[in-house]
Amino acid sequence: MDKNKETTREIINKMVDKNKGKPLFSRVALSAIKKEFDKWKGSNVREYDRNNWAVTPQTMLGSGIPREMIYSPLNVSDLDYSSDLGNSGQAPFTRGIHPNMYRGKKFTIRQINGFGGPEDTNERLKFMIKNGATGLSVIFDIPTVQMYDSDDPISRGQVGTSGVAIDSADDMDILFKDIPLEDITISIVTHYPSNTAILFPMFLATAEKRGIPWEKLRGSVQNDITLEEVVRSGPEYIPPRDCFRIQCDNVEFIRKNVPNWNFVTLNGYNLRDYGTSSITEMAVAIANGIQTIETLILRGYKVDWIAKRLAFFWSISNDFFDEVSRIRAARRLWYKIMKYKFNAKDPRSMWMRCHVQTSGITLTRQEPLNNIVRAALQALSATFGGAQSLHVDSYDEAYAVPTEESALISLRTQQIIQSETAVTEVVDPLGGSYYVEALTNDIEKRILDEVSEIEKLGGYVQAIEHGWIHRKVANYFHSEQARMEAGDIKIVGNNCYKSSYKTPPIDVFKYPQGAEERQKEKLAKLKESRNSRKVEKALKNLEQACRSDTNIVPYSVECARHGCTEGEIFKVFKKAYGLWKPPVFF
Amino acid sequence: MVKKNIKVLLSTLGLDVHSRGVLTVAKYLRDAGMEVIYIGNSMPGQIIKAALQEDADIIGVSSLGGAHLTLGSDLISQAKKERIYDEKVFIIGGAIPDDDAGKLKEAGFDEIFISGATKEEIVSSITNIFEKKLV
Repeated sequence: MDKNKETTREIINKMVDKNKGKPLFSRVALSAIKKEFDKWKGSNVREYDRNNWAVTPQTMLGSGIPREMIYSPLNVSDLDYSSDLGNSGQAPFTRGIHPNMYRGKKFTIRQINGFGGPEDTNERLKFMIKNGATGLSVIFDIPTVQMYDSDDPISRGQVGTSGVAIDSADDMDILFKDIPLEDITISIVTHYPSNTAILFPMFLATAEKRGIPWEKLRGSVQNDITLEEVVRSGPEYIPPRDCFRIQCDNVEFIRKNVPNWNFVTLNGYNLRDYGTSSITEMAVAIANGIQTIETLILRGYKVDWIAKRLAFFWSISNDFFDEVSRIRAARRLWYKIMKYKFNAKDPRSMWMRCHVQTSGITLTRQEPLNNIVRAALQALSATFGGAQSLHVDSYDEAYAVPTEESALISLRTQQIIQSETAVTEVVDPLGGSYYVEALTNDIEKRILDEVSEIEKLGGYVQAIEHGWIHRKVANYFHSEQARMEAGDIKIVGNNCYKSSYKTPPIDVFKYPQGAEERQKEKLAKLKESRNSRKVEKALKNLEQACRSDTNIVPYSVECARHGCTEGEIFKVFKKAYGLWKPPVFF
Repeated sequence: MVKKNIKVLLSTLGLDVHSRGVLTVAKYLRDAGMEVIYIGNSMPGQIIKAALQEDADIIGVSSLGGAHLTLGSDLISQAKKERIYDEKVFIIGGAIPDDDAGKLKEAGFDEIFISGATKEEIVSSITNIFEKKLV
């Protein structure tokens, strides 16, 4: 991006000022309220509270926004219902993207699953469906995420940990055995652009083999440069520019060929859980979204064609009202960006659709059952915020991958919210609260400020190349850690209300045996049975595509069809693009 | 501050994707006056090699993804094979179930830090073990 270009903040502020017109509160009323408020504050409020009127909550991964003791119309004096809130399903979508929100469709209960080999995870997926999961989400094991095959020496001892091992399209077929791919939405948590370009083609090859047209597939991939180049710790990285190019290639290919698939999930979650504020989380994802759309426009596409399938993924932490307000703020801000910066016409392009996961880093090892309460409160704030789908972390995740029992509690937490509490009956129930509206305004402004900061560096990819974002995150988590250890950020059972009571040990998940051997055997068989001439040719063609301007994904689909393995394809990327070393700060 | 200059080599074990914990510990130890080298993601063999090259006193590895038993035990057996086990302090930290922490101790780790360990605990424990085992 040209550094002298008008920032998104400048564009939006100009347009928004023009569109304000009908403030909710009259000047007369406001001045009477102010008079009464000042009088009350001067006489009824004790001096200590007057002097400490604004307090900044100390919470994990919080926004750092100070809170007043009480909020009144004075905090939202120029609130204009139509232009600031609108009804649900109406611009600026602050109150939700659909008119009826959860009355029409409850948030999708989408729990992440993955461990062992594809045979093991397939069983868990079927268990979740049997117990009422309404969507699937699959996460890959460490070697698969890092793009090495199960038989690579570097994968030793790690096959099937933290997720499911997938080496080739054959494994993808086993992973979704007996699961009708055309009937359920599937989130394939590929994380990185590089592994999206490798693993999603394996999924497509599986669909093809089963005779399911790609148009019928519904779901999402993550495909996010932030995860590959900032959040990830790994032995080998391709340079950010090339990684971003693959991200955009994935977007372009999937949009064209798998039209109902969400081709990018702009991810704030992992960055925030890695250690950054609730504001930076959203600013980074939005800046990435802006640069992605700009790049696709440069490739000759219309903004509405791209933008209507963009999705976001947020982390939800402990500062309850901050979290509710943040989702509302991001929705309004994304609307403004799409409308004023990109001149989108289709309302769908202006929707900030999001998946939300409760924060893993807020879970404690001490008294682990308390984590059920933490996750439930976080899930409730996501519901008040109007999220489209939800994953609730399990109480045992400070120890290991969730057991069947703890995964079921996560599922039940969401079912209890949906079926027992009636909170889903009313759209945006906290809308209109002076506090929530003031906080929503403040958060929106702060996110936009940080987006501008990134734009001034030349855009998000440049912010990564310069190590700006790496430094920002490291500074944040080192200082947060100090605040936790000083007890400023309170963690019950950990740094406050510590108890000598020894909670009974919980059942901790044990990985199924033999995944590594099974994967290695399958790989050996695959390498014997596949047509090695076709394999070599497919890899060669992919390498050529990487070195040219053509979209690489059709070539990696071809690789998947011919039984190329993940490690073989990643080798091509490394050869074509070279390696990059991200900065490390401590 | 620590009197003798302790040299620490830290690594993320294998392909583990997490680094917040190990970088936090790196900062703790450096702030406590130790010399800290972080070598990023490495397999046990590479870690041993780097420790020899750097002549590190402490070898610390981080694992949150579930490979602590396989790769952790491997690190210790390779250290024994290279005959440096008695000359260095071995620590491991991360998301490690209680049962496994016991097994890692049996395997030969001098200390296991599980999530929630504080700066004070980590610094004082490493200093103590260093003095007991190596001085």
